[in-house]
Amino acid sequence: MISALRLDVPTSSATEFVDITARLQDAISTAGLRDGQLHLQSLHTTLGLTVNENEPLLLGDLQAMLERVAPRAHAYEHDDLTRRTGVGPGEPRNGHAHCRHLFLLPACTLLVEAGRLVLGQWQSVFAVELDGPRKRQLALQMDGDFDANAGGVAHDRPDRELVELELARQLLVDPEPVREPMQRLVEAGGKRLRPLLTMLSSRLGTQDDPLRAAALAAAIELLHHATLVHDDYVDQAATRRGRPTVAAHEGAARAVAVGDYYFAKATRIIAQLGNPDVSSTIADAVETICLSQMDDVRLRGMYPGDYAAYLRVVRGKTAALFAAACKAGAQLGAASTGVVERLQRFGDLLGIAFQMTDDLLDYSVSSGKPLGQDIRQRTVSLPLIYATEDVRYGARVRELLAGPLEDRDIQEVQELVGATGALERVGEEARGVVAAALRELEEIALDGVGPQLADLANSTVDRVR
Amino acid sequence: MARTLSVSELVDEVGANLAGLESVWDGSMSDAYAFFRHQARPEVALAATLVESAVALQDLGRTAPDPPRLLLGDLCLARASRLLADTHDTELQVAFAEAVERIAAQAAGGPAARDLRELLVAAILGRR
Repeated sequence: MISALRLDVPTSSATEFVDITARLQDAISTAGLRDGQLHLQSLHTTLGLTVNENEPLLLGDLQAMLERVAPRAHAYEHDDLTRRTGVGPGEPRNGHAHCRHLFLLPACTLLVEAGRLVLGQWQSVFAVELDGPRKRQLALQMDGDFDANAGGVAHDRPDRELVELELARQLLVDPEPVREPMQRLVEAGGKRLRPLLTMLSSRLGTQDDPLRAAALAAAIELLHHATLVHDDYVDQAATRRGRPTVAAHEGAARAVAVGDYYFAKATRIIAQLGNPDVSSTIADAVETICLSQMDDVRLRGMYPGDYAAYLRVVRGKTAALFAAACKAGAQLGAASTGVVERLQRFGDLLGIAFQMTDDLLDYSVSSGKPLGQDIRQRTVSLPLIYATEDVRYGARVRELLAGPLEDRDIQEVQELVGATGALERVGEEARGVVAAALRELEEIALDGVGPQLADLANSTVDRVR
Repeated sequence: MARTLSVSELVDEVGANLAGLESVWDGSMSDAYAFFRHQARPEVALAATLVESAVALQDLGRTAPDPPRLLLGDLCLARASRLLADTHDTELQVAFAEAVERIAAQAAGGPAARDLRELLVAAILGRR
């Protein structure tokens, strides 16, 4: 069996390394490829491919090397448009970009085992823009053994498409200075867990209206992304899902404005639904998120923290919006109070499991997330908390975390965390939390959305191997 | 309102809705609240005050604030949003949100907007 698709890769700089690892992994999961190959091909002569380490300073070195090899200011025959034939208006002068492309791959094949890309610890897959910014496309083909129920959560496809359409529709009307960075973030991928939970929850009442549910779902996703834009500035993060953050690319002042704009826009879309309960649910959640974000920053002074503090922050920063996505969806669909309450608890538990799994991605070679990022940013994380409690290695982990955290220290912390068994413990705990979440649904008449909710719930912990 | 409220009276009036934001309640916030209180009931006046405070804390359209000020500004916006949601007045919520959208879009380099206070007063009076 062969599965073929196109991957859109909009770029935002003249030269840019776009980490597409996570998006490739998403494509593999969606297609249900278990064991086989992913073939990847650039459809452009000035967009190359490479596999390398996603380390910002190194990416700067690579850009500098490309500039030395084929300087932009150099004279290129290709740029002498008076001597070329068939040149249309707007023909770019990009001889340097074509020359640089010689050093990159036009296509590559990556191995897939047990549903995951086979990549070494420091390997990430990059699309390399050489003459941007542009809208680019990669061709993907997968062959090998696929799951019998290939598509994974494919039965949520109409919901997913509705959400994507609504997101695109909402972004279309926004002023370009706010739209462009948000579009880059939204298009970088993601599982759309929160909006899909909203869509499914909205069907558990007496007023199932997919278009209104999609409006709410898209607003919740925009709200989530607005918080990410501000979070990335607070965390001084350079990339998110392989793309530059708004703060890194457009500057901190614009990031603040973009976050505020989409916060306001999301609350407006929700208000326009005219359901006071939904508005109150989302407003309460946003307030909780903000208070927890402040709590989180305060806790960094007490890094790595303890379990109670971790749970408090995770409930506020992550689980609050999962819970609100479920609760508000059910409220919009006019579900009974009992169903609304159970879905809220379901969402809360899923959010906790999601964050626990997210913590594990910091140690996963094929997650697409730069390894050790949480340690580097001193983010409160459950594997670290458990590792510091370990009799054999806890003292050394604490000692390292109290220090300046150079690259070798981060690597040692990662190895020690692995040696303590903390990763297995967190993984098991996350699966237990998902099981508890699913038990919340046992008493509800799920009107046919049970399998989708279960798929979404399990997908929160299936992101890491 | 016939007279200007004192700071202590103002704080009493807004009460628990300032939880977590005590540090940002200063003279300018008192003045802003007194101004909006002439136009609206306490929770709406406080929401407008919080929106103004958020924009000031985040120095919107100028230099980026340090992270604590950004987060305090976020909390001001969130609290304002919750206060407005509690009114169950859809038009009011939409008008406030549009005011923030316009100011934020302008700050990002988008179209010019009217003065924030003007926008908020228009929102309160239903004259967007």
